[in-house]
Amino acid sequence: MKGRYEDENLYWIPVLIIFVFLLPFILKGLSFSYKYYLFVLNMAGIYIILNVGLDLLSGFTGLLSLGHAAFLAVGAYSSAIMVDQFGVPFALSLILSPLVAGLFGFVIGFPALRVSGMYLGLTTMGFGFIVRRMIIAFREWTHGSGGLDVSSPVLFGYTIKTDWNNYFLIYTFVVIAVVAGRRIAKSKIGRAFMAIRDSEQAAEAAGINLAKYKMLAFFISGLFAGFAGVLFAHTSSFISTDHFDILLSIYFIIMVLVGGVSSIYGVVLGTLFIVLLDNLFVPLLEDQIHFWFNTQAGDIQSLIFGLIMFLFIIFQPMGLYGMWLKMRIYWKLFPFNPRQRFT
Amino acid sequence: MTDLFSGLTQEIISGIALGSIYALIALGFTMIFKATEVVNFAQGELMMVGAYVNFFFVTTFLSAAGTPTAWTFLVALGGSMIFSVLFGYILDFIINRPLKDEPIFSVIMATLSLAIIIRAVVAIIAGPISLLPFSPFGDSAISFGNIVVSVLDLSIIGSAIGLVIIFYYIFHYTRWGIAMQATSEDPIAAQLMGIPIKRVYSLVWIFSALVATLSGILLAPRIALLDTTMGFLGLKAFPAAVLGGFGSIPGAIVGGVILGVIETVSMGTLSFHFQWIKEINDIIAWIVLIAVLMIKPDGLFGVEKVKKV
Amino acid sequence: MKRVIGVLIIIGLLAVGCVKRAPAPGVTDTEILIGSVQDLSGPLKELGAILPSGSNMYFQYINDQGGVHGRSIKMLVEDHQYNPQKAVAATKKLVEKDQVFCLYQILGTSPCEAIRSILSETGTPLIAPATNSGTMSDLSRVAGDLIFHTDTGYDIQGEILVDYILNQNSDAKIGIVYQDDDYGENVLVGIARAEEEHEITVQKESYQRGAIDFKGQTMNLLKGGCTDVIIAGIVREPVTVMKTAEAMNYKPNFFGTGPTVDARVGKLAGSAGEGFTATYWAHMWNSDAPGPILYRELCEKYDIPEPYIGLYHYYGFATAQLLVEGLERAGRNPTRKSLVRGLETFKNWDVGSFPPITFSRNDHAGVDKVQLVQMQNGEQVVITDWLE
Repeated sequence: MKGRYEDENLYWIPVLIIFVFLLPFILKGLSFSYKYYLFVLNMAGIYIILNVGLDLLSGFTGLLSLGHAAFLAVGAYSSAIMVDQFGVPFALSLILSPLVAGLFGFVIGFPALRVSGMYLGLTTMGFGFIVRRMIIAFREWTHGSGGLDVSSPVLFGYTIKTDWNNYFLIYTFVVIAVVAGRRIAKSKIGRAFMAIRDSEQAAEAAGINLAKYKMLAFFISGLFAGFAGVLFAHTSSFISTDHFDILLSIYFIIMVLVGGVSSIYGVVLGTLFIVLLDNLFVPLLEDQIHFWFNTQAGDIQSLIFGLIMFLFIIFQPMGLYGMWLKMRIYWKLFPFNPRQRFT
Repeated sequence: MTDLFSGLTQEIISGIALGSIYALIALGFTMIFKATEVVNFAQGELMMVGAYVNFFFVTTFLSAAGTPTAWTFLVALGGSMIFSVLFGYILDFIINRPLKDEPIFSVIMATLSLAIIIRAVVAIIAGPISLLPFSPFGDSAISFGNIVVSVLDLSIIGSAIGLVIIFYYIFHYTRWGIAMQATSEDPIAAQLMGIPIKRVYSLVWIFSALVATLSGILLAPRIALLDTTMGFLGLKAFPAAVLGGFGSIPGAIVGGVILGVIETVSMGTLSFHFQWIKEINDIIAWIVLIAVLMIKPDGLFGVEKVKKV
Repeated sequence: MKRVIGVLIIIGLLAVGCVKRAPAPGVTDTEILIGSVQDLSGPLKELGAILPSGSNMYFQYINDQGGVHGRSIKMLVEDHQYNPQKAVAATKKLVEKDQVFCLYQILGTSPCEAIRSILSETGTPLIAPATNSGTMSDLSRVAGDLIFHTDTGYDIQGEILVDYILNQNSDAKIGIVYQDDDYGENVLVGIARAEEEHEITVQKESYQRGAIDFKGQTMNLLKGGCTDVIIAGIVREPVTVMKTAEAMNYKPNFFGTGPTVDARVGKLAGSAGEGFTATYWAHMWNSDAPGPILYRELCEKYDIPEPYIGLYHYYGFATAQLLVEGLERAGRNPTRKSLVRGLETFKNWDVGSFPPITFSRNDHAGVDKVQLVQMQNGEQVVITDWLE
């Protein structure tokens, strides 16, 4: 299989996809707690879908969004309300809810056109707070801060419960999202995004309509996030505004950054890394520390996480994808590797 | 009518006090940004550390001295100041050296992870039990006719004004102050003129830490229980700093005070007369921010930066 | 060749994966594993330290005496930071990875609501959820038959308070400051019942969880002419409300529900908190009922640090007593079903820690009474008998 670029080897993609769908069986054989691991992977999958959109917005177009959890919330609550209170079928909600979130993307896109840099970051942060508060305010539908019970997804007559089934549902869409993200990234739209990020004046001079593409970036990232929101709501069976806070938005940006900005595959790596780190590795480390130090503190988990983040940024600012690229290039050039490290 | 008037005046004064605290946090945050282009998301945590350290000093001196006097609080204040100087210096070391030329995203992430680390470390050292902060003035209040103002609020406003005057003097009439201004305007030109910018950076961080500690000490008695989530209150300082225009010191102060007043008035009189305002009380700062930015995208006092190609 | 071996390995794993396994969850010959999810690093992290400490103290005491039917009790605690989604993750870890026998003392109404589907899917009982929400004993909800509630619901507390206030003063104008989430919602359910019964209206002022300024609400209550104010908050809220009112020279009678019975409310509020009356659903930890006496003995025996001793620590202790009794009644070879049935045999069970507790197939609300505790001269004094 030949990709668009000469040296791109696409043979591994179908193998990877098969592996993704075989993974639950492998996990079941390996460990009795496989259900829990599937649950963690499901969470990661949902976040991957959102982060693809976020990367297109912040990584490719350079529009920093510190309030993206709001879009997830919009998608989740829209779907929950549509399906449970208005009887909309789940499959239809999968189309409508992302559109609602995309609409919200337009709404925040407007102010975003005028501001840039840190101002934009804070505007999106404010947007995150405002949306969350508005969800609480419309308590007639959203039940305020108390949280909503959400029904399980029903597709083609089957009700999808349990982490096992959710995995297949979610990862089907993960694959679709990643492919779609890559297609957008490598298309004219993606190039326009990158041009805007690198230099707005030059992009304008080259004939790119800034307003149109910026709004498009917000809309698309809203779509992805809304889609993730639908899956999130129905596989979690209970949503509440507690979850969609500024910390979650920051987590998303961290995942995109760690994976390597402006690389869709990087987004996948980064999201998986952070989610697995937070749910599997850090608790393991924490147990070890408890074993040695016998402290009561619950904050050791945050401490370890923060430290790892910090060290990562200092030593590896290019992200996981950057690391991967370096390794690949190193491998290819062997044995002609230059002496000094290339940064 | 006088009822409304006195209620409103009380709220405005209380709002100015709250706003002064936001202004102080915004000040520290803006100073760092002006000089080093670093957006310090850990500013709220610096404030929290200051509050905790001050609490620690006060309780140690109290157990040594027996009864609280003005001296215990003043000495504790001094101790906290010294600590924050050291703390600021260390932070500059951690942040600026390794991250000198990294893109802004990395620096933001670095300060964010630093915030997480600081919060976790304080929580581990201080233990999980919330602390009961002291107000050095107890609950005393002064009345002007119908209007009651707490002494604490007055001291907050007084300290803020005092600090602003001191900073103004430092920035405009001392060598180091002018050096800081020069470095923030153009680091390369400043270097060429012989200014040791690394030292200037350290100074900026130290100042920021000092200001943060002070705001923490002033804020603690107002919030009844002291715990490590205090740093989130610092988040409100961001709209304050941006409202006035990022990188503008008078802007940060004005922004902070405006936000404090708006918040307090909306929670009080406005909520009473317009019931729906209750729903947006806690986010009114953000709404105001976005509204202002739509009209003046660089903030109230921001100067539109000439974008270089 | 490599490929063939690779495929064979994968088939082997698949085959192993299809074999069914069914060990007994959480119970071995020497140990019973129970799971709890607390807020260890979020807004209520104090409770996350104090509650498990109280429970573990009692478990230690029981284990030192040989345990329950020869098995010692071990409690695993996970962190949810008061985030329902994290609570779900933590509970799944406990149930599916650590294979705990049952869940115990999970903190917070939203977290407990969020995990209901896990409870019903896996058949795991939840004993003594650490929340006063009346919804915990609502059998019509998902997994209601697996949850055993030991606290008097907020709704009942609110109702009792209104009754009490009107008994003292039939012309009282009542106002309530409530947290705008499931806590407040549950209190309002009880208030609504009381409003209907006494044909009055209660003035309602809400606040967002975590708010630190209450001038608006207090001003509104003052303007509404309320003579008695109920505060459905935790610790910071009643303190701030009362202080704010004092500054405004507004002196209604103040009452509180649920967590406001914490001694720190009185300590922090100082003179403003004088006369503050809270509802409490158990015996005071410093009273002379047999439960508190044992509690204080154990605190001394196990060297519990002073800041921990008090209301919440005692609560951990008392609910642990209940759990242990339930485990005893579950029999020599406990299963989750036998635990549920064992708990349902509680008839007026009273060791002096809670008022007498009764569970049955149709009633999972262990306690539905409160006593009123008032701040007098900086000390908490019980002023009534058990009210319901």
